Amino acid sequence: MSKIVLELKNVSKTFGRRKVLDNISLNVKEGEIYGFLGPNGSGKTTTIKIILHLIDSDSGIIKVNGFDTKKQFEQAMEYIGGIVENPDMYRYMSGIDNLKLHARLRNIDKKRIDEVLKLVELNGRECDKVGKYSLGMKQRLGLALTLLHRPKVLILDEPTNGLDPAGIKKLRDILKQVAHKEGVAVFVSSHILAEMQQMCDKVAVLDNGKIVKVEEITNQSEEIIEQVELRVKDIDKTVKILKEKFKLDPIVEKEIINIFIQTEKLPKVVKELAVSDVEIKAVIPKNHTLEEIFFDATEGGKNENN
Amino acid sequence: MKIIKLFIDENIKIWKKLSTKIMIVAIILSLFAVLALVKFMEKTEENTLISNIEVEYEKEDLEREIQYFESQLENEKLDEESRLNFERNLEVNKLYLEYNIRPYSNSWENELTTYIVEQKMNGQDVEELLDILKNKDFNKYIEYQKKQLKQQLDNATISEQEYSDNLTILDLKEKYEIGKSYNQESYWKMTVIEKIKSAQYSLRTGINKETSKLLKVEEKQDLEDSIKLNIYRLEHNIPDSNTGSNSNYRLRFELLAPMFSIAVISIVIIVIAGGTISNEISTGTIKFWALTPNKRWKIMTAKLLSILFYIIILVLITSLVSVLIANVFFAQEGETYLYCKNGEVKEIGNTLYTIEFYFVKAIPITLFALFAVMLSTITRNTAVAVSFSVALYIGNGIAMQILNQFITKDWVRFIPFNNLNLTTKIFPNATDMTSMMFGTNFATSTTLGFSLAVIGICAFLMLVTMYDSFNKRDII
Repeated sequence: MSKIVLELKNVSKTFGRRKVLDNISLNVKEGEIYGFLGPNGSGKTTTIKIILHLIDSDSGIIKVNGFDTKKQFEQAMEYIGGIVENPDMYRYMSGIDNLKLHARLRNIDKKRIDEVLKLVELNGRECDKVGKYSLGMKQRLGLALTLLHRPKVLILDEPTNGLDPAGIKKLRDILKQVAHKEGVAVFVSSHILAEMQQMCDKVAVLDNGKIVKVEEITNQSEEIIEQVELRVKDIDKTVKILKEKFKLDPIVEKEIINIFIQTEKLPKVVKELAVSDVEIKAVIPKNHTLEEIFFDATEGGKNENN
Repeated sequence: MKIIKLFIDENIKIWKKLSTKIMIVAIILSLFAVLALVKFMEKTEENTLISNIEVEYEKEDLEREIQYFESQLENEKLDEESRLNFERNLEVNKLYLEYNIRPYSNSWENELTTYIVEQKMNGQDVEELLDILKNKDFNKYIEYQKKQLKQQLDNATISEQEYSDNLTILDLKEKYEIGKSYNQESYWKMTVIEKIKSAQYSLRTGINKETSKLLKVEEKQDLEDSIKLNIYRLEHNIPDSNTGSNSNYRLRFELLAPMFSIAVISIVIIVIAGGTISNEISTGTIKFWALTPNKRWKIMTAKLLSILFYIIILVLITSLVSVLIANVFFAQEGETYLYCKNGEVKEIGNTLYTIEFYFVKAIPITLFALFAVMLSTITRNTAVAVSFSVALYIGNGIAMQILNQFITKDWVRFIPFNNLNLTTKIFPNATDMTSMMFGTNFATSTTLGFSLAVIGICAFLMLVTMYDSFNKRDII
């Protein structure tokens, strides 16, 4: 059993009359990538800001490595690092100068700076001005900044926002390395399910300031289950093949068949259907965002205003 | 320890900015602008200065004047007073003509001639005096005056104190040949003598000669000090710029340069201070600091200290450049500052004095910087913080001038802006441009301690406000 390094107990927060967070409790363990899901406006960023003590909670206790962030602020901050909203650095200074500012505050030597730069694959570009960095590079520099002091808890707020697929993959690899090799607890918020599925060990779903679901993701990222939409002429025959040969559970909606399938098995299915003389009109992989699934679960988006 | 590290970081942050370096260049350029202005004044005034115009008196002029007085005296209808006046002038001019003395030149010969005529008209024997005039013997003249003084003491027409005072004056005149020859360069010595005389009179009678009010205890000390100071000036040949000729262009530069450059520095500092918190919040970099294990008050303190440090660096650079410019571009010696401490006259050299003067003049900047930081923290809007602070900085002088005209109540001295002019209080003997131009107003009559207390209270209130706001409000 690994140690709990981030603990939230009954955290609540109201802005004016609106209750933004309602009795949030969660535990994050060492070496765990913890996904924090929820639609926009569900309180993800507020939670993160409260954990990082950028804003004060109304009630509840937050402990980082056993230190209360309110009462033992300075000790707690020794073990935590985070990026909120955007990785904001001084644009007129070079990447390494930004890192050095932090390094001085935390008594970190040059060796560690190089180490971190290598980890986020920024070595070689560290002397350029931050203003000239691409968004991905900025994101990675922000990560380097938070990793400098070897935090036990790393908190990231929508880190993949605005990144291209290559950037997302790079970020994912870095986070996995940090969590699984160095034992850092990574707490990531996002509203994109696929993204979370690919890297998280555990996911909590937040809606309207309440945690509605906490789920361990057991299938490690290699076996990704995808939702695929099939459009064929002969629906009955297709359903039969899918059920008998692949033991799938297709959902039929008018002309469309929806299946949930591991990505690597999809070519076999298509091949089999083609061999069986089924006329395939289209095979459309569905990358569902959490919002869609979430609104389905909450009966067709009655919370649309949030 | 942590604060020191934060402080170093803040400084790195400031100095890495290109605009910081540009601002230093701008401040130094303002010094050169003042230099150009003073040089321009020198050029245009070169030909119009009174000292350069030699008034030539010809013998014919004197003869013509004598003729005029004689013709006037022939008039039967003249009243007694005018008649006496004309007769006196006639005699004086005749003596000028006889002994070849340049009239109306404020020299000791003029003084003596007038004295001789007066004595003559009173029926006294003037042989001895005429002899002195004939030989143009300045020392003899002083000796004669001393003799007269002794006589007055013996006759008990003057007091012991008055005797010794006047004797001191005569001794000084003799020693430094004051009034022996009249020229522009040594004119200041005469005014210094007048000042000593005035101070002696005030001390002797217990009534301030200038204000005609009874002397206070501290005024007494000031007067005694001023006598010592003025004697020191004569001893060491240090001209008093307050009374000297206005052809000292170095002095003009030294007075104008701080006024200009401190104004530029103030604006620069307000711009930087006005963005301390609000800029960091709008760019998000405040999180950079808030996510380090440092409590917020430490972050704030480091920011304030770095601004203070920046002010000190700017003022130091400016004052040093100012000294350098003055030494390179002006032929005159720099003015030294004299002051009296425990009855002893002390001297501050020009370089050190200039630097000190700059720093004293820069004290109000800290107050405006604090104001800007406070607005920046409260409003979180750089534009508001900077524009309000700059408006206050530029407008306060004029506003106070107007306000003080209308309100003469005692409480106006509690208004902080009435206490910002510290240079006249810390360097009371210095030549000050503002008081030369505007005169000393009611509000500046407060003491140094009072002004510092008012400034201190103001600073404290602003600090409390900004710390409270920064500590309690959410960082978003």
